Amino acid sequence: MRFVLQRVGQLVMVLFAVTVITFASVNVLGDPLTNILGPLARVDCTDVYAGIKPDTSTRGGTSEGDCAIIAETRKEFNLDSPLPVRYARWVGDISTGDFGTSFQNQLPVSTVLKNKLPVTLRLVGIGLFFSLALSIPWALLSAYRAERTFDNFSTVASFGLLAIPNFAMGVILLYLFAVRWSFFPTRYEPAGIYNQLKSLFLPGLTLALPLAATYQRLLRTDLITTLQEDFVHMARAKGMPAHTIMTRHALRPSMFSVITVFGINTGALLGGTLVIERIFSIPGLGTEIVTAIVRDDTPVVLGIVVIIVTGFVVVNLFVDLMYSFLDPRVRRG
Amino acid sequence: MADEKATHAVAVFDEVPEPFSEDVVKRRLGIGFWVAISWMVLITALALLAPVLPIDGQNVIGAGSKLSAPSLHHLFGTDSLGRDVFARTIWGSRVSLSVGFIAIAAGMLIGGPLGIIAGYFRGKIDAVVSFVFLSLLSFPSLVLALMIVNSLDRSLKVVALVLGILAIAPIGRLARANTIVYAEREFVQAARVIGAKDIRIMVREILPNVLIPMGALALLGMAVAIVAEGALAFLGLSVKQGATWGKMILEGSDIRTLRKGTYVAMAPILVMFLTVLALNYAGDRVRSYFDVRETAF
Repeated sequence: MRFVLQRVGQLVMVLFAVTVITFASVNVLGDPLTNILGPLARVDCTDVYAGIKPDTSTRGGTSEGDCAIIAETRKEFNLDSPLPVRYARWVGDISTGDFGTSFQNQLPVSTVLKNKLPVTLRLVGIGLFFSLALSIPWALLSAYRAERTFDNFSTVASFGLLAIPNFAMGVILLYLFAVRWSFFPTRYEPAGIYNQLKSLFLPGLTLALPLAATYQRLLRTDLITTLQEDFVHMARAKGMPAHTIMTRHALRPSMFSVITVFGINTGALLGGTLVIERIFSIPGLGTEIVTAIVRDDTPVVLGIVVIIVTGFVVVNLFVDLMYSFLDPRVRRG
Repeated sequence: MADEKATHAVAVFDEVPEPFSEDVVKRRLGIGFWVAISWMVLITALALLAPVLPIDGQNVIGAGSKLSAPSLHHLFGTDSLGRDVFARTIWGSRVSLSVGFIAIAAGMLIGGPLGIIAGYFRGKIDAVVSFVFLSLLSFPSLVLALMIVNSLDRSLKVVALVLGILAIAPIGRLARANTIVYAEREFVQAARVIGAKDIRIMVREILPNVLIPMGALALLGMAVAIVAEGALAFLGLSVKQGATWGKMILEGSDIRTLRKGTYVAMAPILVMFLTVLALNYAGDRVRSYFDVRETAF
């Protein structure tokens, strides 16, 4: 229990540090007032209030002066308070589910998240499914006859797969299966579950291939160790068919390191779909955060960072707990 | 396992046998390593010599007809503005390689000392430094890079330094972990006993040992940085001036160009793939070459 509390405490600290860094950097590196109001924010209100300059509105049709608008905006977005106060207020709002309002289109950030998160989660889910569906049979086949032709070939193949950057993989798959042979659409088609799955097939595969290579390496090594155990010899001596030994007896005790790495990767994936979403024009969190960063849409950036980091932290905590559940030595160490 | 231990115990009292010739072969870096290094030397030389090579300038528009297939005159064909893809790949390597190199150098210069200090002194310094590393690692790295590049500018210096910041945590953690191991070793204790100061022990005793795994990680990390530049390019935030591999792949990846001039994207992809493969392989070889445990059991 102490171990669990310690890990939770550490991860809460990480979450705190990351949000502070993000909050400070978006507010210090960029000026939120300019981002909301544009050139209007540059009006020097001290001069206006002192009566040196006239307060004429550049916005046609409003009776309000520029400075009134600026003051109102400052109040609306809490821009007058010092940074720590604004951070505390922001955290307080988030705990009630209020992520603020987008500067760009005045939509609540929670609505944006609600629209975009499912698409990204679906993409990550498909990617994870493919990565396991590919790597487990692949590892079983190469461990079955280790250091033979197929195994040596797959060592080279997985090394090669790991050296292809994910965007390059995306472009290659896009070219082969969407442009050259039109098996899949080149753009995301949101209508209907069938079209969605079809549009997410190639991006999912792009996400999965390097992961599959990693898992195959890990699982293969562990399988080779397991296959030297006595109970495997026992099963073989009983005359059990090789495929039963591989899938029923050897696979489960060999899954340990794959589960660990699988968990860590899954947390990181949520932030790793940015480029893939871009290539396949998928309207998910990745596309949204890139747009928001370029447009200095601070509330949206912050909201998505919170989601991504929370996902990462929670999945890692879960993996740590799983680990200590499976292997009691971790708890005591 | 028990049998092996027994034979070892006997070997202590026996004469030390000459190492078998097979063992000597095992400890070689292998031909693959030298092929990988040759590729890196070749690509670096081309990058350095780009201004004097007989190739087109990187921005010569209309050097050939648009989207033409590879020919003797244009080895990798031409892109949608008629620029020579081969020439641009060489010009692009200047940016991509220097981003990778500067990023890793910055990561090693900051992360290395931090990690060694944390691992050597432990206690409160270690707690603080480890926490900073953990926070940096928890951050979605591409998002952090995007935010900084977007709010500063898109110069080579900024892009390289941002990627350098991202390299601090992994390099620092490795340096720390290795320092903890070496700080307990006899030669370090001996140095302490003869009255060597902490700074001298860290520089003269620990650093040379920690540098080897850091060097292996640096090769792998350079590959990661080169790829990260490509990812930044895809999100529209890579180095502004001139060609880079990432920008070339991006330009070649729109549907029309993919259909008519596949080479525009595939040529830089191939070069980037070979470079990343070479760096990964070399890093892997260096690591297992110096990993004594793996060979001497």
